[in-house]
Amino acid sequence: MLLLAKAALGLGGALVVAGAYTFHEGVIRVDVDEYRAGGSHIHLWVPAAMVPMTMHFVPRHHFRDAAEHAREFLPVAQALFKELKKFPDAQFVEVQSDDQHVQICTHDGKLQIDVHDSSENVHMLVPLSTLDDVVGQIEESAPGA
Amino acid sequence: MFKIHRGLITKAALVTATAVLLSPFGAQAQTTSAPAKPSQSTSSATQEKGERWLHVRVICTDGRGDTVRVNVPLELAEKVLPAVNHDRLHNGKVRIDSTEVGDVDLHALMDAIRTAKDGEYVTVQGNDNDVRVAKEGSHLMIHVVDKGGSKKSQVEVKVPMKVIEALLSAGKDELDLVAALHALGAQGDVELVSVKDSENTVKVWLDSKNVAD
Repeated sequence: MLLLAKAALGLGGALVVAGAYTFHEGVIRVDVDEYRAGGSHIHLWVPAAMVPMTMHFVPRHHFRDAAEHAREFLPVAQALFKELKKFPDAQFVEVQSDDQHVQICTHDGKLQIDVHDSSENVHMLVPLSTLDDVVGQIEESAPGA
Repeated sequence: MFKIHRGLITKAALVTATAVLLSPFGAQAQTTSAPAKPSQSTSSATQEKGERWLHVRVICTDGRGDTVRVNVPLELAEKVLPAVNHDRLHNGKVRIDSTEVGDVDLHALMDAIRTAKDGEYVTVQGNDNDVRVAKEGSHLMIHVVDKGGSKKSQVEVKVPMKVIEALLSAGKDELDLVAALHALGAQGDVELVSVKDSENTVKVWLDSKNVAD
């Protein structure tokens, strides 16, 4: 009985450690709700740590193309995401009209983008560290980097 | 007796270990729970840290009530701006074409204003426009009232002289935006730009809060 408990604890512990590692960078959350007949309802939760890991399996030429297209904006994006991490939660942009509300803010080290419209709601939450990693990896793949 | 204690101790150890191992999930669940709007209490945190925020607010007064609010920490802008290399903006500096300013020596002009006494330098009163440029204390004030047409507008610009000096510190044909932002950060709370017309109200100001009014 005790042996079984120890085995269960070992297995459980391994699962928890794996889970804790997977979720240590937080979760990327994307919610899209379209309010029309046949509209999409997408609710996506992805462990943020998976993104940089998965990027290692993407063929390098895709990154080279992406880096080529975004060459002008990559240093800006990298500087922005790196610096944003240092600031407390804040609302950076808010646009409000009678039928639409858009906000871009940071919350608990995550970039949050919300769009509330009469026809759809879009909500995105991405850890800044993940964005920083992704931009860094794309920049490293740039020709001449 | 010993066996009973050993069993109890083992069970307690198992429960404790499980609780400790599961605690990251609990913490994770808290952090991933419903994202909230940034708390306004962070405003006091930024005040304590002495962070300076540039705010832009545009309110459409045409009946629809559209509002745009942008809040940017000056320190962030100072760090990000040098990374922008587009058109005439490089390393936080904007190259100006001398032909665009009509061969006016901006440095000499600003130096003259800086050393001059307070007063009204330009006053134009016309049928269509009223323009007033003055130096008041350590600020350059520009006031324009457009009276012509159906869209009457009023523009007020208040720029600290230190900011203008920093802006012109780069060289003859350049404006140093990063230096200007740095100088702006050292200023107190100030309303920099105010535009009011029949359709929009625009306000640009600086303070220590990370939330707009």
